[in-house]
Amino acid sequence: MIKKLLAIFTALILFGCTEQTSTLFVGEAEGSVTNYENDTHGTYASTYVPLPSENTVIRNATVFDGDGNKFINYDIYFSDGKISAMGRDLVVESAKEIDGTGKYVTPGIIDNHSHMGVYPAPGVRTSSDGNEATSPNTAEVWAEHSVWSQDPQYKLALAGGITTFHVLPGSANLFGGRGVTLKNVSGNTVPDMKFPDVPHSLKMACGENPKRVYSSRGPSTRMGNVAGYRNAWIGAENHRDRLEKDPSHRDIKNETLVGVLDGEILVHNHCYRADEMATMINISQEFGYKVSTFHHGVEAYKIANLLADEGICAALWADWWGFKHEAYDMTIANIAIVDQARGGTGCAIVHSDSASGIQRLNQEAAKALAAGREAGFDISEQRAMTWITKNPAKSLGILEKTGTLENGKDADIVIWSGNPFSVYSKAEQVYIDGALAFDKATNFMPHTDFDLGVKEWEGK
Amino acid sequence: MKILRLLLLLPFLVLADGDDLYLLKGAKVFIADEGFVAKDILVDDGKIILVDDFIENIETGDVIDVQGKFITPGLLVFSSLGLLEIGALPETNDTGSDIYNAGFDPSRAYNPFSQAVRLNRSKGVTSTVNIPGASGYFSGMLTYTKINGGMKQKKQGPLGLVTSYGQSYNDSRAANLMYMEDLFSYVRTNHDDNYADMTQFMLGTTNEYKFTSRDFKAIKKVLDNEMPLVVKVNKATDILNVIKFAEAQEVDLILWEANEGHMVANEIAQAGVPVILDPLNNIPSTFDSLNATYENVTRLNDAGVVMAFYYEQGAGAHNAYLATQSAGNSVAMGLDYNEAISSITSNPADIFGLINVGYILPGYDADLVVWDNDPLELMSSVEMVMIDGEKQDLSNRYKELTDRYTKELDKPNSYRSRE
Repeated sequence: MIKKLLAIFTALILFGCTEQTSTLFVGEAEGSVTNYENDTHGTYASTYVPLPSENTVIRNATVFDGDGNKFINYDIYFSDGKISAMGRDLVVESAKEIDGTGKYVTPGIIDNHSHMGVYPAPGVRTSSDGNEATSPNTAEVWAEHSVWSQDPQYKLALAGGITTFHVLPGSANLFGGRGVTLKNVSGNTVPDMKFPDVPHSLKMACGENPKRVYSSRGPSTRMGNVAGYRNAWIGAENHRDRLEKDPSHRDIKNETLVGVLDGEILVHNHCYRADEMATMINISQEFGYKVSTFHHGVEAYKIANLLADEGICAALWADWWGFKHEAYDMTIANIAIVDQARGGTGCAIVHSDSASGIQRLNQEAAKALAAGREAGFDISEQRAMTWITKNPAKSLGILEKTGTLENGKDADIVIWSGNPFSVYSKAEQVYIDGALAFDKATNFMPHTDFDLGVKEWEGK
Repeated sequence: MKILRLLLLLPFLVLADGDDLYLLKGAKVFIADEGFVAKDILVDDGKIILVDDFIENIETGDVIDVQGKFITPGLLVFSSLGLLEIGALPETNDTGSDIYNAGFDPSRAYNPFSQAVRLNRSKGVTSTVNIPGASGYFSGMLTYTKINGGMKQKKQGPLGLVTSYGQSYNDSRAANLMYMEDLFSYVRTNHDDNYADMTQFMLGTTNEYKFTSRDFKAIKKVLDNEMPLVVKVNKATDILNVIKFAEAQEVDLILWEANEGHMVANEIAQAGVPVILDPLNNIPSTFDSLNATYENVTRLNDAGVVMAFYYEQGAGAHNAYLATQSAGNSVAMGLDYNEAISSITSNPADIFGLINVGYILPGYDADLVVWDNDPLELMSSVEMVMIDGEKQDLSNRYKELTDRYTKELDKPNSYRSRE
């Protein structure tokens, strides 16, 4: 399927059929029976269609490409929703010209840990849908079935340069359910926001939360947590065996877990303490799956080499700490230490877990960068930019599509008023799949249905 | 004029023993209403004694070369510093009380050795106004505490009585306003200090609010204008009602949070009421804050409202020093830079009428922070912190952890040296 689309797309580029862009995307959306078998029969597939876009060239900007490079006086040309050329003094025909002099350009910022939509604003009981805290194992629930498409928080994140975010269930359970990766676009339905053809994820949680929530019925200890994971994986293995004899058998909890064992669903594991992360790696080895990313890992720096060796990303805050015992051993150099492990092969990510923090991931990266330098590491701004672009894309299995500025990738692009590592810089324009989604100068942004009738002062 | 001042100073300098005499030379110094200007600062016996364009080198004491650095007054934050070690561990949390409410002063539990105190001190915080968290009708009183090292800290207070107003699960906000009116008139009419302990106000009703004589005395201080009423309130119409209430009761008022303050900015300004807020609060996180916006600070400032900033995002209790990030963002939103710095230094001192803190002026406490760069920038760092003229130890657990996992990696971690 993907190959076929690529072929069509390549043909479009070759023949320059710009008018057919939207057709391509409509076709992709409609025909998209996902490769991930648990998205049964395509029922839950993405129906995302990009906004109309025009071919655009940004001239003479300072570019962080998200892949660790910085280019000065650089041009970026995007057409048909994809990045088509980068370089100096690009010659392009009939494109909208944007003067990027004095501006910075980065890939769209990606937050791989958000609860927007499942904990929307206003935060009231009636729409608090993030934690199915009824059983330690709710691998059967999907965050996308809780997401409220009218959450007014999306556009605030957009104004901070967020073009993609990963919505996870909460951390009450050992297995919290499936996460979903969304493009930061308005949609009346959740599939209208879903990032097309990308892996599902599974939220797991270590430590204090599950043992606190289930203290009366168990697990009530960390060893109880571990027994809970292992029993569940054994159950998943049994389910897989049964499927061989009875392929039509349905068990949506185990379908998620088998998806992990088969390498199709990526594990995103909330886990603070270093020793617990190491235990979780042991469990993954016992059952033959891979942890994509540890989230929150306040102690990740203590096992930075282990994480680098295992190819596991750590999604971290710059400086949150102290709200729980397992979040006590903080260092603001955490992200830098993880990044620099094993000769700079670590995969460090700045995540938000916050509808406020997601609006300023660039600022969180700046603080982490400063702490890394203070700890003696020689880290460049272009390297730190990978913490909020390339690395979260890798963690979510979407790096082939977005996360860096490279020819052929989705034109998810932010133009900043100045250096994004400065507190004074603002995202001025945000493009998603080549379409202008936010423009600070003209106050152009999406407004959800919820915003209507409320913000009467806005824009006056 | 300058010479005259130096002459006046001379005998004093001669008498000074030099032990706690410091001359900070060559920095850009933040002077309220002026901004950063090149000044030298002379500190003796815990006080700033001279701030001038050029001060001759002193013969005794320390001359500190701070050429090219930035000096601000120490940051004054609103936080639970020293009262809360680990949020989810009640054993380490001294911010609240079920016994007392209005009369509760959590600052009496202050722990100078809290890791959060040490971290925040190393990030430029020199004092905190505690946020009380009692569970009753009032959450307690505000007290100003310096966060210097050692066992003794200077305090000022009580500075205000904190309550909140707005949405609630049970009674209408109308009833809550009536309740406050009735409570205040009860305290006014029973003013002989003979409140029976554990009085249940309005006995016979279903309300569960209890007040001890300690609580009533605190309320009386508000009625006697000895300290202001500090109200956490967000909805624009609620703000107007609270202002009207305070005017009718003839009590001093400070607003806290005020997410929709911008909609009634002129009314707040006309009432002369200051606002304490986090400029980053732009999410319609409750139905009382549907109009929350990044523009809150600029609109309030345009109307002439005096503001103080705090940082409440994420783990704000432990990262109160990030008030600099809130202030920096307010500049990005259009607030005047000097106003932003004042909002985390001198404005809070003015709002609470604190004595001799918040400004770099002769006669003021020498609570100073030396920064390598613009204090509001995310990548600037603190090089020196002085509280009451004493250079503070900036070491902290987070630095030790960083060192432990970046140095001497050939040794087992628990045998790496602790310097």
